[in-house]
Amino acid sequence: MANDGGWLDKFVDRLPEQGWFKFLSNYFVVPYWFWREPKPKLPGGPRMAVQPGESLQRMMNLIMPLKDKSPIGRAKAALALGQSVDTLYAGLDNVGTIHFARFVIIENNLCMMSVYDGDFSSYVRDFIVSIGNVFDAVLIHVEGGDAVVPTKKNVEAFVDWVHDHDLFQMPDFATDLFALQDEAQGLPADRPPHDLSSLSRAMVLQLKANPNFALGSGFRSYAGFSAAQIREKFGVGW
Amino acid sequence: MKDVLDLANVQGNILRGYRGDLKFVRHVILEVTDRAAARRFLGASASGQVSDGTAITRASPWGDQNPATCFNIGITFAGLGALGTPSAMLASFPTEFTQGMARRALKLGDFGDSGPAAWPQPFDQPEQVHVIATIYAERHERLQQITDCVAGSFRVLGHRDGSARTDSNVLGPAYADDGSADNRVFFGYADSITQPRFRIKGYPEPGPGQSAVYRDQDPRFQDPVVALGMALLGYETPLEGVRFGVPMSYDLGQDGSFNAFRVLAQDTRAFEDYLDEAAGLMMQMEVEKGPLLLPVGGENAVGPGLDRLAALREVIAAQMCGRWRNGTPVAISPLQPLADPTPEQLSDFGYAPPRTCPAGAHIRRVSPRDGQIVQRAANFTRRLIRRGMPYGPDFDAANRDDDERGLLGNFIGASLGAQFEAVMCDWLNLGLHDPDITRSNDPLIGANSKETSWFDLRLMDGKPCRIRGFPRFVRTRGGAYTFLPSIRAIAFLAALRG
Repeated sequence: MANDGGWLDKFVDRLPEQGWFKFLSNYFVVPYWFWREPKPKLPGGPRMAVQPGESLQRMMNLIMPLKDKSPIGRAKAALALGQSVDTLYAGLDNVGTIHFARFVIIENNLCMMSVYDGDFSSYVRDFIVSIGNVFDAVLIHVEGGDAVVPTKKNVEAFVDWVHDHDLFQMPDFATDLFALQDEAQGLPADRPPHDLSSLSRAMVLQLKANPNFALGSGFRSYAGFSAAQIREKFGVGW
Repeated sequence: MKDVLDLANVQGNILRGYRGDLKFVRHVILEVTDRAAARRFLGASASGQVSDGTAITRASPWGDQNPATCFNIGITFAGLGALGTPSAMLASFPTEFTQGMARRALKLGDFGDSGPAAWPQPFDQPEQVHVIATIYAERHERLQQITDCVAGSFRVLGHRDGSARTDSNVLGPAYADDGSADNRVFFGYADSITQPRFRIKGYPEPGPGQSAVYRDQDPRFQDPVVALGMALLGYETPLEGVRFGVPMSYDLGQDGSFNAFRVLAQDTRAFEDYLDEAAGLMMQMEVEKGPLLLPVGGENAVGPGLDRLAALREVIAAQMCGRWRNGTPVAISPLQPLADPTPEQLSDFGYAPPRTCPAGAHIRRVSPRDGQIVQRAANFTRRLIRRGMPYGPDFDAANRDDDERGLLGNFIGASLGAQFEAVMCDWLNLGLHDPDITRSNDPLIGANSKETSWFDLRLMDGKPCRIRGFPRFVRTRGGAYTFLPSIRAIAFLAALRG
């Protein structure tokens, strides 16, 4: 084995814990690498899958930065959502493909976390048709929201906007990251194959472009069933 | 935004199919290599002042005299760039169009031997595909003559020819044919029966099977007339309050549409072989359980002179498609095709309970009409205009071969994302709109594999019976997303400078 305790191996192994090395990495090495090997910000949400089962129960982590980053600003956003919550939930029900949806505010971001079935853009489009008006009232409190309001007249732009603000999901197989990065740069996917030892660097650089991200597609207790299948099973209508 | 349509500004193939005598079609795939020459061609083509067959056919009614040829064009995103469209205007086109069909492949079920990497020339180089010119002609030799005219201004990368077939025997079995169908496709079904009907100000509402302005009838049908905004950019859609984005500028976007052009190879042999297999299986089950799909003695009503096995094949084929091969909807006649179905019978039906047509049947998956669906707001909102023509050698069901044959399909709508892709992705494959079919793909054209495919037949007692093990019958062999510009838009592109 290479790392059998030679002095150089020990030195390298300890590097990430050294204060001077952390400083060097954060301010010089990573920015330099990023300049040399730029990684575009990767879009959010699940990716298309060949297996139909993987197209069910998909995760949305929509992060919407608030314009007014103060307690009052957060209160305004909460109020905009809260005063139409019944309409909102009725609309979400009407979309038909949603398992769960919840709204949280984390550090001046209004976040919508949901689990839905099927294609991302169809979900967002059905969502606009059902509750676009309610969402418009929320979006005016969000950075960049004005450009996509009213959503019903900006369908395509809103779908792209959500795609951009949905958290990037790290692939469940870490090495798939190479192909995603290649694709984003218009290169052939993993051709020629990347050196496996460069994976950690690729990941660090991607996390510079996407500071927030989701770790894989998440856990499912009853994978591969649609919301409608579950509702049908329980006899609550679909 | 205007709401009054000027038909003379719309390309003819969007609102109307070129039926009747125009039995030959050629899609010529072109690259813009000389920008100035391409613009000159488009300018002349849009002006209508050319007599060599390259004048754009418009949507204006033809009157008594049908043309002997028609000519229409679609332009890819790469093509708009190659013609010198300013980048701010390019940026106003929707993402799915700018990415193009090849990059949307997974969403469309185009993977494996249907994937872009397996597409033959010229679709193996999607960035080179700039313009697809489509020629429709009464006489076959006109196709090449008009191609030669186009070739002076573009580089011809390739072409795909199709032709209408009237003799059902060359396409696969077609029982109980009334003999009048001129719209048969491989697998032996009548096709292109129901098209969305559009409400257009100043014109009467269209009758069943009619596209908008070309026939005046005003009956009440279950299938509502669709708002024009599903077909053309710049009009109201059936989605409440929603309008699809019109690319800038007004002249470029207004009255345009989008098209998913697809070369779809149909494995006719595998399809007929599978019907043999599935019918054989049902025969075996009948020994034990008695008749399941068809009453004893019902064979002759399915097709004259059919034995039990041949009749069961037809019932299975009908349930997989949702129509009998002559077009009769299974929803209105589950046990036999009607001898001579009227346009009303062919197009005016729904899927209200009781469920006579399996939820997984092809035509029900891609257009669930008034049937209950999971996406409650989506009934009637993903309608597509379909224009297709068969290609490839004739098929002899008694002497089955493996030659490539299939359909050259145009799937037209104002939003590729909200119509074509939404149907392909969640409905055709995946089956998301009905919990009973979720996780299965369309039995006829879905991205199936023998190991995982399944389809629930509906037995006479209403119970489902699952059949499995069918392969992918339809493979994608190329295609492109194109913009179908209005006449003014073509003139606008022709007038670009730089």
